[in-house]
Amino acid sequence: MKIGDILKWILLVWMVAVIVASFFYVHPAEGFIGESSRIVFFHVPTAWVSVLAFLISCITSVMYLRRRDPIDDVRASVSAGLGLLFCFLATVTGAVFARIMWNAYWNWDPRQTSITILLLIYAAYFALRGAIADPERRATLSAVYAILAFVTVPFLVFVVPRIYWSLHPDTIINTRGANEFDSRYTQVLMASLAGFTGLFVWLYTVGSRVEAIRLRRRQEVL
Amino acid sequence: MSDLLGLALVTLIIWVGLFAYVYRVDRKVRRLEES
Repeated sequence: MKIGDILKWILLVWMVAVIVASFFYVHPAEGFIGESSRIVFFHVPTAWVSVLAFLISCITSVMYLRRRDPIDDVRASVSAGLGLLFCFLATVTGAVFARIMWNAYWNWDPRQTSITILLLIYAAYFALRGAIADPERRATLSAVYAILAFVTVPFLVFVVPRIYWSLHPDTIINTRGANEFDSRYTQVLMASLAGFTGLFVWLYTVGSRVEAIRLRRRQEVL
Repeated sequence: MSDLLGLALVTLIIWVGLFAYVYRVDRKVRRLEES
């Protein structure tokens, strides 16, 4: 068995443990309705992975502009796609939490508004890719767009929601600079963040390999 | 308690299903790379 296969099985067991712990190891947090506080173990990691994916998309786009290697373009596109998927999952889990806490899925809260703008920015990345037929031109323009798009990420994820008053509960990185989470919550959240990061790395690797095979076959046909 | 158990089970099923799907794709990709 190769090391990669062992890591995949470790990820399976790790995430099973995270899921069991998030439902049975921690108690519902004070000030939250019912069991709604448990959603933090899935909402925060999906948001974190989307930021990570957008960062990798930006880095691989810079690499494409420097080396002009089509594989960098493929990696940037796969990463942006995963970022968009995890960003959507963060929005959905946030909306479920909002429904339980504030009786409405959508409140146009600063965080909900900024994540919607982020979703639209990265959806436009794929609209741009779909609109250009020439592969080289598509890769160049998409790379420039991905770099510019990432400039907005720190503002939309970290700055804007902290400037305006928000219904959103205090995050682990709060303005007081202190972790005020219960120790069990911190343990499970960190484990979940590690598991989701592992899942992202795996999905990114598989996605990039699939697209690399597709690219190779397309080049063979031409 | 039963609601919590149900939610945990659904989450576990989604995770194991996702894992099985990605694992299958991963193996298929490896075969394609080797061929």
